[in-house]
Amino acid sequence: MQRKSILFILITLLSAALLSAQQPQGDDKPLPGKVQRLNRVPVSHEILKVKLPHPKEVTLPNGLTVLVLEQHKLPTVSCVLWIKSGALSDPADLPGLASFTADMLREGTAKRSSAQIASELDDLGATFTADAGFGSNLTTIQASGLSESVDKFLDLMSDIVLNAGFPSTELDRFKRTEKARLLQLRSNPGFLARERFSRAIYGGFPASIQATTNDAIQKVTPESLRGFHDKYYLPGNAILAFAGDITVPQATALATKYFGPWKNSGVAAITMAELPPPSAAHVYVVDRPGSVQSNILAGGLTVRRSDPDYLALSLANRILGGGSAARLFANLREDKGYTYGAYSRVSSDIYPGTLIANTEVRNAVTDGSLHELMYEFRRLRDEKVPSAELEEAKRSIISRFALSLQSPSEIMNAWLTVKYYGLPADYWDRYADEVAKIDADTIQRTAKKYIDLDHLQIVIVGDGKEVREAASKYGAVSVFDAEGKPMEVNPAGAVSGTK
Amino acid sequence: MHSRKMNSRKKLPLICALLLIFASFTSAQTRLPKIQFTDTTLENGLRVVIVPDNTAPVVAVSMTYNTGSRNEKQGRTGFAHLFEHMMFEGSANVGKGEHMLLVQNYGGTMNGTTNSDRTNYFEEMPRNQLDMALFLESDRMKALNITQANLDNQRNAVQEERRLRVDNQPYGKSGEALESMVYDAFPYHHSVIGSMEDLNAASIDDVKEFFRVYYAPNNAVLVLVGDLDTKEALGKVKKYFGDIPRQSAPPPVDMTESPHGKERRSTMEDTLARLPQIQAAYPGPVGNTQDFYTLQVLSNILSGGRSSRLYEHLVRQKQLAVNVFAGIQERRGPGLFRVVALPRPGVKPEDLEAAIYDEFEAVKKDGITPQELEKARVQLLRADIQGRSSALGLANRIGMLTVYFNDPGLINTAYEKIAAVTASQIQTAAQKYLVPENRAVVITTPHVSGSKPGL
Repeated sequence: MQRKSILFILITLLSAALLSAQQPQGDDKPLPGKVQRLNRVPVSHEILKVKLPHPKEVTLPNGLTVLVLEQHKLPTVSCVLWIKSGALSDPADLPGLASFTADMLREGTAKRSSAQIASELDDLGATFTADAGFGSNLTTIQASGLSESVDKFLDLMSDIVLNAGFPSTELDRFKRTEKARLLQLRSNPGFLARERFSRAIYGGFPASIQATTNDAIQKVTPESLRGFHDKYYLPGNAILAFAGDITVPQATALATKYFGPWKNSGVAAITMAELPPPSAAHVYVVDRPGSVQSNILAGGLTVRRSDPDYLALSLANRILGGGSAARLFANLREDKGYTYGAYSRVSSDIYPGTLIANTEVRNAVTDGSLHELMYEFRRLRDEKVPSAELEEAKRSIISRFALSLQSPSEIMNAWLTVKYYGLPADYWDRYADEVAKIDADTIQRTAKKYIDLDHLQIVIVGDGKEVREAASKYGAVSVFDAEGKPMEVNPAGAVSGTK
Repeated sequence: MHSRKMNSRKKLPLICALLLIFASFTSAQTRLPKIQFTDTTLENGLRVVIVPDNTAPVVAVSMTYNTGSRNEKQGRTGFAHLFEHMMFEGSANVGKGEHMLLVQNYGGTMNGTTNSDRTNYFEEMPRNQLDMALFLESDRMKALNITQANLDNQRNAVQEERRLRVDNQPYGKSGEALESMVYDAFPYHHSVIGSMEDLNAASIDDVKEFFRVYYAPNNAVLVLVGDLDTKEALGKVKKYFGDIPRQSAPPPVDMTESPHGKERRSTMEDTLARLPQIQAAYPGPVGNTQDFYTLQVLSNILSGGRSSRLYEHLVRQKQLAVNVFAGIQERRGPGLFRVVALPRPGVKPEDLEAAIYDEFEAVKKDGITPQELEKARVQLLRADIQGRSSALGLANRIGMLTVYFNDPGLINTAYEKIAAVTASQIQTAAQKYLVPENRAVVITTPHVSGSKPGL
C-alpha cells in the first residue's frame, strides 16, 4: 500500500567511497571544549541532493494566487491562507489589531455562531488556526483535516475568513481572556527577554512591539476589527496554498467555489518607517525577582530576508549556534556545564532582521556565560572558520533537505517564503549550489559585518540583585522591571563588551 | 469499517444501537492505513521492528529501553534522565559529543527522551546514513564511556534543565507536587527530572550499575522506519548488535497503589506566577486497557477542541476560565487523569474548581450524546493519522507500544479499540474513576515577595 515516491531525487556522488570508515580528517584546529572526534563511525559521503517539488500555481479572476502541492501518503489536506498584512500594519494606537482580527474570525459569521463554527470543525476532526504574530506583516490562517471532508472544511474556512462578523458579545469575552493572557505573558522570562531585546534593537520602529497593551484591548471595537478586515483581507493581498492528499483540478475547483466570490479592491503597499540607526552597545537587565536563572539574549541588527548576504549569514549562524553541533552548545554546555542549551538564530523579514544568541544559565555563572558568548562572537569575527568545520556546516544544511520531503506543509512553506519575500522562482533549486559556493573569507566578512560589537545589545532577564554586578562588566547598564518600566536608565550607552 | 466492531454492537441496549446506526450517517469514511511491519528478536534478546516506507528518502532509527524514572532507587530521583544524557558523552568508538556532530553534520536530527516508563534514543537521517545511526546506537549499548568529568558536566546540564523547565517557570513545581500526592508508591511518586539533592548524589558507580542492568539488548526495542529494504536492514542490525551479550532481566517494579479513601489537597505560593492555577488529578487505569481507551475518548469530549464541554461551558459561556484542560495520560502503571485550569482574573479558584467537577458529575449522571462520541472518534482518527506524518514519530510510537505493552501491532489496533468505545462505557468509567475521594488537588496562588523587587 505504500505508493512509490513520485519525488524527483538526484543522487550525486560527492565522494567515491560510499561507506567509508573514516570521515574527512580535520585539517585545521580542533573544535572547542571537550568535544572529541575518533572518526571511526561509518558514514556515507554521498549527499542525497534533493529537488523540492514545485507547487502548481493558478490565479483566480479575482487576483487570488492558488498553490497546490500533491502528496498522497496520508489521507489529509492542509490549506493555508496567507494574508500579506499583519501586525506591522497595526495603527500606532492599537497594537494587536491584526492579531485580534485573526483571533476573532472564528467567533461568528452571518451564517454561523461561534459555537456552531467550533462544533462543525470538531465534528469533521478538522482544525482551524489564525494568527498574526508581532514583528511580522503576515496573517496566517490554516484549516486542515481529512481529505474526505476537504469540501466541508473549505466551506467553513471561507465563511470564517470572508464573512467574519465580529459580534460584540464575543469580543467582550475575548477582551477579558486577552487581558488575562497578557498578564500571564509577563510571568514568562523568555517573553520578557524578547520584548526588551526588540525595544533595544528597533526603538520606535513597529517591529519593536512584541505584545498588545491593556489600553489597546480596552479600545478595540467591532468596527476597528471590521476596518482592518475590509482593508486587508482581499484576494489580491493573499495566497491560498493546498498541500497533501488533493489533486490540482480538485483544489482549483474548491478554491474557485469558495474563494472565487471574494471581491478584490486595491491594497496600498505597506510603507515602513525608516529604521533608526543602530544604538551603541548596551546591557539591559530585566528584574524578575525570584528567578533562579538568567535568560540571556545578545545580538544585533542584520539584513532583510531578500538580502544577498542572508545565505552566508545563515551559514555563519549555523557555525556559531545553529543546533547542538555548533560552537555555543559545545562551549557553554558540553565544556563549561553552564546551561542546558545555548543557540543562535537569524530572523529576517521584509525589514532588516537580527542575529541573536540565547542561553539560560544559573545566576552564579551569568558572568562566565556572557564571557563565553563574547568569546564566541569574537572568534567568528577574528578567526577564519577551519575548512572542515565549514564543509560540515554546509553539508548539514544541504543534506537536511531529504528530511523535509516527508512534510508537504514544510515544502509548501518553503515556496510561500519565496513568493512572499520576492525571492527568485528557482531559489530552492539553486540553494544547495549557492550554499556550496560560500567560502571561509565570506563567512568571516559576514561575521565582522553583522556581529557588530560596538552596537551589540545584551538583555539579561533574572533576579536583579543577583546579576546586576555581572552585567556591568559588559557595558553601560539600564534596568527595567517585568512590567517594562525603567528602574534605572544609563544614557551613556557606548561601551562595548569590555571583559 | 474500522470504527465499529460488529460484535460489540450486539451487547448494547437497543436504543444505543439505533443511535449508533443514526450516527454512522455522519461518520468518517476514512480508514486508518494498515502499517506492515516485521517483528524479529535476535538471539541476544534485542527485539527489532522494521517498517519499510519509500515515500521519502529518509530512515528513522529509534531505540527504546525498558527503563525510566520508575526504575530509579530511593535517593536517586532524576537518575534515569541523567543517565540518558551520559549516552551522548561517547563510547568505545565514538568521542564525546561526536554523536551529535555526526548526525547533524550529515543532515539528520537526533535526541533522547526519558519519561517514567521508558527511555528512547533516536536518529532521523537521509536514507544512506542507516549504517551511521545503527553503529552509533550499537556502540553506546556495547561500551559506553563513563567518566567522572562527563558525569559532572552532564549533572550541571541536567540541573540547568530542571531550573529552565521547573524552578524558573510559573507553576513549575505544582505538577511535581500533584503527582507526589496522587501516587504513594515510589515509582510514580517522584518526578522524572528529580531533585537537585538526588542529582548531586549520583555517582560513577550508579552510572555503571544502571548501564549494566538496564542497557542490555534484551531490555530494548529497536524500530526502523523508512526507505529501506527489510532483509538488508535486518542484516545490518545483526552485524552491529548481534555480538552484544544479554544480561539477566532487571528487577521487577512494584507499582501497586492503595486507594486514598479521601480527597488530598494542598496549596502552594508561587513567586513567579501572576494568576492562580488549579491542578487536580485522579488515579486512572493502566494503558492499553478498555478503561484507558474509554477515558481517552472521554478526555476528548471534555477538552478536545472548542466545542468540547469544558471549553464551551467554562471558557466561553460561563467565562470562569482563561483555559482548562482535562485528559488521561497513558502509562504502564496506573494512569493519571489530570485537570489544569486557569481562572479568569476576578473568578475565585474554588468557583472554577466546583464548575469543573459539575461537568464531571453531568457525565456520570446523564452520559454523553451520540454526536459527541462520533466527534471524538473522528478527532482521534485524525490525530492517529497525523501521528504518522514522519518516519521518526512513527518509529518512536511503535517503540513505546512495544516496550509498554509487548505489542507493536497496537500501532494498527489501538484505534480500533478507541472506535469501539460506547457511550455507556464512558458513563460507567466516569463513575468509576472521577471519584472525589480519589482526587488530589493543588491550588497555586501568586506570591508577592515581602522584599521589594530591586537591586
